Amino acid sequence: MNTLASGALIKLEITRSLRNKKFMFFTVIYPVALFLLISSSSSKADMIPHSHLSTQLYYMVGMASFGALTAVLMGNSERIAKEREKGWVRQLRLTALPGHGYVISKIASMATVTLPAIVIVELVAALAKGVDLAAWQWAALTFSIWAGSMVFAALGVAIGYTASGDAVRPITMIIYFALSILGGLWMPFTVFPQWLQNIAKWLPTYAYAGLGHAIEQGDAPHLRDILLLVAYLLVFAGGAAWLYRKDTLKA
Amino acid sequence: MAIPAVRFSRVNKSFGQVKAVNDVNLDLHPGETVALLGPNGAGKSTTLDLLLGLRNADSGTVEVFGTTPARAIAQGKVGAMLQSGGLMEEVKVRELVKLACDLHPKAYPVQQVLEHAGITEIADRMVNKLSGGQEQRVRFALATAGANDLIILDEPTTGMDVTVRQSFWATMRQQAAQGRTVLFATHYLEEADAIADRVIVLHRGRVLADGSAAEIKAKAGARRIVFDLDGEVDEAALRGLPFLTALSVSGRTVRIQSTDADATTHAVYGLGLYPRNLEVAGLGLEQAFIAITDAATAEEAAR
Repeated sequence: MNTLASGALIKLEITRSLRNKKFMFFTVIYPVALFLLISSSSSKADMIPHSHLSTQLYYMVGMASFGALTAVLMGNSERIAKEREKGWVRQLRLTALPGHGYVISKIASMATVTLPAIVIVELVAALAKGVDLAAWQWAALTFSIWAGSMVFAALGVAIGYTASGDAVRPITMIIYFALSILGGLWMPFTVFPQWLQNIAKWLPTYAYAGLGHAIEQGDAPHLRDILLLVAYLLVFAGGAAWLYRKDTLKA
Repeated sequence: MAIPAVRFSRVNKSFGQVKAVNDVNLDLHPGETVALLGPNGAGKSTTLDLLLGLRNADSGTVEVFGTTPARAIAQGKVGAMLQSGGLMEEVKVRELVKLACDLHPKAYPVQQVLEHAGITEIADRMVNKLSGGQEQRVRFALATAGANDLIILDEPTTGMDVTVRQSFWATMRQQAAQGRTVLFATHYLEEADAIADRVIVLHRGRVLADGSAAEIKAKAGARRIVFDLDGEVDEAALRGLPFLTALSVSGRTVRIQSTDADATTHAVYGLGLYPRNLEVAGLGLEQAFIAITDAATAEEAAR
């Protein structure tokens, strides 16, 4: 019964996301625009130093991941903080919906908008930038970037619950920039000093980028990265569900 | 004895220095329609929040049908319409009502819920394009999406026009007639008077009075006796009348408030007076309510 109930909310949340054309447009265009901007400085033949990866491929994975992360983190935290202020969450808490149902529905609604964003970056990279991969690599990249973004959707829900009002945006931005830069989504990770690399290795964004980079090199994603992401997903989603149940903020 | 629909046992809740709910004991029985009355800041909303498990009491226990509020809600026993309850945006009214039905363990058909709330015509509108009164009716639909045993309404008719308000209460009476417990907080005292079979007056977090509307009025000395006298008016003698709570004399006209109008009137004749143009009338609940809360404020100030 409760699973069914959560299903109803998931469906409605997805309908809502798809209906929000402005949000859709931004989410889909943003990563492509960034990819084109950043990759324009290097030619199709450029390679990442000390590796056999093309710069274009590296940026494609980075920007697809980064774009997905941006959409889910920003999208969820701000929308949820707003819903809390409007009192919708209070109303929802008066229904039989379990806490995890709410969190899952939020993650699912974000996942619907990130998939097209990821696919479009890949299409542009393949058609315009000459990125060439095996069929399994395309499939694996798409899936792992998409699935991995759900970790950050859960983080977005948790932030939306922790912060409220004017604090949401700055807090989201700080977490977002710190995670993106340190996790190596913007620039190759190896440019950091050793001590920072040691810390960064435990960030969810590092593991997230790691999924893609393993596939780029023709490997399966590392188990360590997958486990780290699953652990973060459980912590973020569990925390968000707990916050949903305990939140007493009044409108 | 059946399990009470709601039981508050020595419940306390403070916000900083302010005791929003102060040692409240309360039982609501299945089938009762209860009005929660009180001036702003009396603790009405906090009481409802505690009842719905949106806040936790500092001490004491709150039970709904013998269990915790959260569990009673999960079982689909409670429907609530809060002032602070918002609506999901960017969806159609029908979609939102359908969601409430899908979430309710004992849901009614969507069409029926729309009809009862009087929102069939606006079912295809977007939620964020509604007027205040329409929003209020959508909230009502969400609160009555299923067969709840207890319905909680926080100032439900705010923003509704008179016709809608009447049809709203007609629906509510229907619910009560089916054996449901209805608890509503209101500023419209005539609503409490007309609809509730029990009125609870809250003041500064305490239950000040609890009884039928008639009893509340009686408690405040709520019958008014007015008459004219020929000749001298002996105020001192009048002041000695039994059950008298207030006396005012202007010219030959005497105005008395009494908790037992029958006995007081009888005693007027007993004084050998011959009152003319005698009128005995009930006070509205509003005046009774003001009298009770004023008395409590004065009492507290005296301490």
